[in-house]
Amino acid sequence: MSLALIQILNGLQNGLLIFLAASGLTLVFGILGIINLSHGSFYMLGAYMALTLTSFTGDIFLALALGAPIAFVFGMAIEWLFIRHLYNRDHLQQVLLTFALILVFNEIQQSVWGSHPLSIPTPSYLSASIPITGSLSYPVYRAALMLICLGLALAMVFVIQKTRVGRMIRAAESNREMVEALGFDARILFRLVFAAGVTLAATAGILAAPVESAYPGIGDRVLIVSFVVVVIGGIGSIRGAFVGSLLIGLADAFGKVYAPQFSAIIIYALMALVLVMRPAGLFGRA
Amino acid sequence: MLTRPALPVIVFFIALLALFAALPFVGGPYAVKFATRLMVLAIFVVSLDLLIGITGLVSFGHAAFFGVGAYAVYFVSPDYEAGNLALALAAGVALGGLAALLVGSFAMLTKGFYFIMVTLAAGQMLFALFHDTDIAKGSDGAYVNVKPNLTIGGKTLLDFDSPLQFYFFTLAALVVVYFALFGLARSPFGRALQGIRVNETRMSALGYNAYLYKLAAFVVAGAVAGFAGALFACIDGFVTPELLSWHQSGLAIMMVVLGGAGTLFGPILGAFAYISLEDLLKTASLVGEFVSSHWRLGTGAVLVVAVLLSPDGLAGFFRLFGGARAAPASAPAAATAADRPARRAKALSTKELSRNFDALAAVSDVTIRFEPNLVHGVIGPNGAGKTTFTNLLSGAIPPSSGHVDIDGRDVTGWPAHKIAHVGLGRSYQRTNIFGAFTVEENCALAAQARHGGVLRLTDGRWRAAETEKVAHALAVAGLSDRAHVVSSKMSNGEQRQLEIAMLIASGADLLLLDEPLAGMGPEETSRVVALLRDLTRDHTIVLIEHDMDAVFAAADTLTVLVQGKLLAHGTPDAIRKDEAVLEAYLGHHAEKSGARA
Repeated sequence: MSLALIQILNGLQNGLLIFLAASGLTLVFGILGIINLSHGSFYMLGAYMALTLTSFTGDIFLALALGAPIAFVFGMAIEWLFIRHLYNRDHLQQVLLTFALILVFNEIQQSVWGSHPLSIPTPSYLSASIPITGSLSYPVYRAALMLICLGLALAMVFVIQKTRVGRMIRAAESNREMVEALGFDARILFRLVFAAGVTLAATAGILAAPVESAYPGIGDRVLIVSFVVVVIGGIGSIRGAFVGSLLIGLADAFGKVYAPQFSAIIIYALMALVLVMRPAGLFGRA
Repeated sequence: MLTRPALPVIVFFIALLALFAALPFVGGPYAVKFATRLMVLAIFVVSLDLLIGITGLVSFGHAAFFGVGAYAVYFVSPDYEAGNLALALAAGVALGGLAALLVGSFAMLTKGFYFIMVTLAAGQMLFALFHDTDIAKGSDGAYVNVKPNLTIGGKTLLDFDSPLQFYFFTLAALVVVYFALFGLARSPFGRALQGIRVNETRMSALGYNAYLYKLAAFVVAGAVAGFAGALFACIDGFVTPELLSWHQSGLAIMMVVLGGAGTLFGPILGAFAYISLEDLLKTASLVGEFVSSHWRLGTGAVLVVAVLLSPDGLAGFFRLFGGARAAPASAPAAATAADRPARRAKALSTKELSRNFDALAAVSDVTIRFEPNLVHGVIGPNGAGKTTFTNLLSGAIPPSSGHVDIDGRDVTGWPAHKIAHVGLGRSYQRTNIFGAFTVEENCALAAQARHGGVLRLTDGRWRAAETEKVAHALAVAGLSDRAHVVSSKMSNGEQRQLEIAMLIASGADLLLLDEPLAGMGPEETSRVVALLRDLTRDHTIVLIEHDMDAVFAAADTLTVLVQGKLLAHGTPDAIRKDEAVLEAYLGHHAEKSGARA
């Protein structure tokens, strides 16, 4: 019973982290119409950034405070250099260019940080564990992680639903030409949205680093899982991404315990099931 | 349509073939092995072009079928002796095709973004199956200790343990696969695939079950990929789960695009070029220590630049020499249209037909009967529900309630392609033809929709009937002398005529025309109106139209829709005098032009 409780907590925590990454992906899909395969690379760069910045500052949250703005500027640069050339191209070319970027980012990671897994320290004030039963306990950092992710998710909903920028984003999602016709500069809007997507992925990578450590290929796993989440939730739907992330997080956590060999397959089976019943995802427009 | 490659390409490939045939006698064992790998991957990549370039399906999980094919060899090979070569290759083909069938049957439910992601995820699922479970030694990979050979009656005919025999077998396989896929793409089946790539909605309206066609292409491509995978397993006798991973799928797409998607020969060049580039960048003695230790950066950078500069791939390079082949001029059989016999066409009726979009009732409670061999005009102000009504009749969308009935057969809720098979053909508000195809090819695509199954590889016994149908349709529509013109190059009016010709060629005798006169000049309009009148000899026509003068001139009956409801139905004269219609719709237009007659 308490094992199940731990798995529920792990699943929720993992799901919330996935949500940060997947919401960035679905935002970029929904508004820019770009399939961004390099999204996982930004998660990976976030994790490695956490490593380097924590060694400078000594604290993961200081690393986040520095890392998030760096990621945002980096995202703007990537959009300006590469992504903006893809808006009027077909899917195939988007897939190709962002795939080529993965190769480049992977090589940069290898050159700078090497291929061994590297661990990132948990801040000392969060290193305790909450005892649940006599033998099982739950790390405080993971609990804090959940709260932070929830806070970020709420903040995102607030920005999208209640602010001027958010209104523009929602308008651009439903009718891109019209937003331009109304006199907004869609180029700037797109650059900001892409940078926000990069920042979300990197933030997830930074926050996860003390739990997961940093290793090559960490971005691939996140990318594929984010794709599954977006398909389950429906393209462009933040709400769908939230529900999908928690579903996947829980399915994965329980799968790892009860059917370890098939835990990866369970996720895809879940996706196939959703697709057969609702081809446009749970919250997608048919 | 896929055409035969230009002469310089053919010459180039003959030279390349000679080079490869001579290679083992010049190069050492390393060169032979390297060239074998090139050719195996070329087979794999060409199979992907059948999906990407021919059918328009960007599959991001194709490496999974390749990898599954490689594992098939491991599965059927005994531990310490040579396995049966024929069995090993057949297992690769079968397992690749089977995996593609499983993945494809639900991936084909999706389109665009979703399709890319679903194939990616499905590929990763197969990867996880081999990586995480111990069905084939898990993440460590599995060994095929002794390479398979073909032994019949104690005599070994072909032995993959001999690098030379393996090499020449692979070379032959590449040539055969290329020609087989080229033939497939040129067959009626391949013609339909290319039609689906260009315009899937239209193909469904013509009576093609796009799902089945795409699935068939997916399975064929998966089987060929499985074959290539089986060959790959015989290179080193070692297979790993990484063969199935999405990185491999991504690289395969790279090679297709690098070479030129949709040409089938281009991807072969793409595979050769990419693998050679990778190999070059990895060789420290040629490019230096720094480059070779960061070779991925090199390939990544080259690819980024290649996409941004957006060439048509290496195949496009050949276009610099000699242009595309001109279509051969063959005189179409001159069928005389004017004296064709009259024939009863089908009737169409609806009963209490309704369709709601959320709270909006776009069409509500329409009961009407369109009698055979007449032109029926459907008119109404903007937002009257004319387009929704058309979509309900053709099966493009299902009704919320009510029935549609063609000649006594209830077709309510049938998919578009099935309704097309009963004899209903529709055209669209926006011109909806296959622009890259010639006029004749457009009609051929329409004519073949009802003959044979999905996997129809030859014109066979239908050739004569279809050729005649096409010629007949072109003659009736007045396009006989335009048969070999590429349709995108014609005027708007001629493209509209072609749409009607395609419907005639498809054998439909119940034509649903959505604003066929839109954007036409007066002369073109009167030509098409005359054509419609002539067509009533053997067709029933439902005409949705905005051009009031033309509709009053062409139609035998008029149906007026207002706000989704049937307001009036009768002869043009009766409608002209109908007070309600005048009030609700025609307004001052009726006084100005409708009143004369």
